[in-house]
Amino acid sequence: MDLTVSEGTVPREGFLLVEIEKFQGPLDLLLHLIRRQDIDIFDIPISRITDQFLQAIRRIQAHDLDSAGEFLEMAATLVRIKAQMLLPRTAEDEEEDPRGELVRRLLEYEQIREISRRLSAAEADRARRFPKGFNPPRPRRPVAETPLQAAWDEVFEAALRVEMPLPRERQHRVSPRSVSMEDKIVLILDSLRETTRVEFSSLLRGFREKMHGVMTFLAGLELTRRRLLFLRQTAPFAELWIYRREDSGEDDAGTEADVEEQPVNRPDEGAAEA
Amino acid sequence: MNVHQIVEAVLFASDAPLSADEIARADESLDEDQVEQAIRFLRAEYDDAERSFQIAEIAEGYQILTRSEFAPYLERFDNVPRPSRLSGPALETLAIIAYRQPIGRIEIEYVRGVGSAGVLKTLQDRELIEVVGRAEGLGRPVLYGTTQRFLEHFGFKSLEDLPRPEELPVVLRERIPLGPEEPEAPPAEGTAAVEAGDEASRDAPPVERADDDEGFSPTA
Repeated sequence: MDLTVSEGTVPREGFLLVEIEKFQGPLDLLLHLIRRQDIDIFDIPISRITDQFLQAIRRIQAHDLDSAGEFLEMAATLVRIKAQMLLPRTAEDEEEDPRGELVRRLLEYEQIREISRRLSAAEADRARRFPKGFNPPRPRRPVAETPLQAAWDEVFEAALRVEMPLPRERQHRVSPRSVSMEDKIVLILDSLRETTRVEFSSLLRGFREKMHGVMTFLAGLELTRRRLLFLRQTAPFAELWIYRREDSGEDDAGTEADVEEQPVNRPDEGAAEA
Repeated sequence: MNVHQIVEAVLFASDAPLSADEIARADESLDEDQVEQAIRFLRAEYDDAERSFQIAEIAEGYQILTRSEFAPYLERFDNVPRPSRLSGPALETLAIIAYRQPIGRIEIEYVRGVGSAGVLKTLQDRELIEVVGRAEGLGRPVLYGTTQRFLEHFGFKSLEDLPRPEELPVVLRERIPLGPEEPEAPPAEGTAAVEAGDEASRDAPPVERADDDEGFSPTA
């Protein structure tokens, strides 16, 4: 319940800043406004409270239409009561105070809230005393027992069809990585020495193992991270181009995120080719 | 075998509260008075021996429960039965239903000032409330009441265990009865909600509202 009296930001007297989300509904909010200011609930300054209420609900998020409707309905009720209070009351009709019904609702709600607090305490109390028993493990669906309808030879035949799993020969050999990323970094940097860009596929020429592709790509990413180059691809699965980065601070676009989607012609690309 | 041993065995084997009447079914020679006497005997015995459990009176019955001091030890186990706690809106809604049952959704929403269909569904799913009837009038809306499970959940012996409005610290010195005031004049130009709320309360069947001053309608 954060309610802070704003200091000088709003000229109107008695303006209160209220975090609307913390309230369970319009009655909760209204009660809060009243109790917070020590207002006599049987003599609510309806004009002031209405203004404060309207101020408070101004910030209700539009997406929460359900609760917005509830608050707006209360706002309408308040405005109506305010209007009724302004009307001169004729002595003859012994109508009750226009605020009567609202007061009754507020008191009733306050009492309900107190009762629910008591219920919560009782619940906590009860939860500290345990009955005998345990939570049974989640029931498993019983496997349906189907009668065996097969002759012996069928079973035998089926058994013959089952291929025994061969004990797999596994040799766990730990071998040093034949391709190192460092080599690939050197390769990329070397090939970019003369030119500003190079095709990824051209770097793989002559290497047959898949690992070379993987390591070259990783090296490319690593260099991108170090801001020495950037990667560019016009479409998914299109040729990947590796660009040398001229000025490391100038262009932020050359991060890994750019690997996939990049417009084909960018102004600096033309410049690089010129 | 003593009567109290039989009663103890029955209570021990049950995981829900049992009424004296139900316990008496254990043997033809037993009656409710004997069961209650045996329970008093057992209670004294447990207290003397400082047992870790007691016979609690819950939901018009008896149940063996551990003493609350042992909660910290038991809470370490996943497989001890532990009810989950209810949310604020759920408690609020239950409070209204407990005091005003049977009561319909419209009336509950009028008291709370917010829509309550979702909460009611949750409470019904958890068997804390149930449909106890239908109101007269348009659409014959269903009316809700609390269940046995409700009493068990809060550890109440009966609805009488609910706090009485007059013991509440809220400013209700000038007694606003919880029950809707029947003769209340409808507001001159009421909003739709006000009218709907009044309608619902007027349409509610005549429950025992004799004790309206207490805002209480025990369903004993």
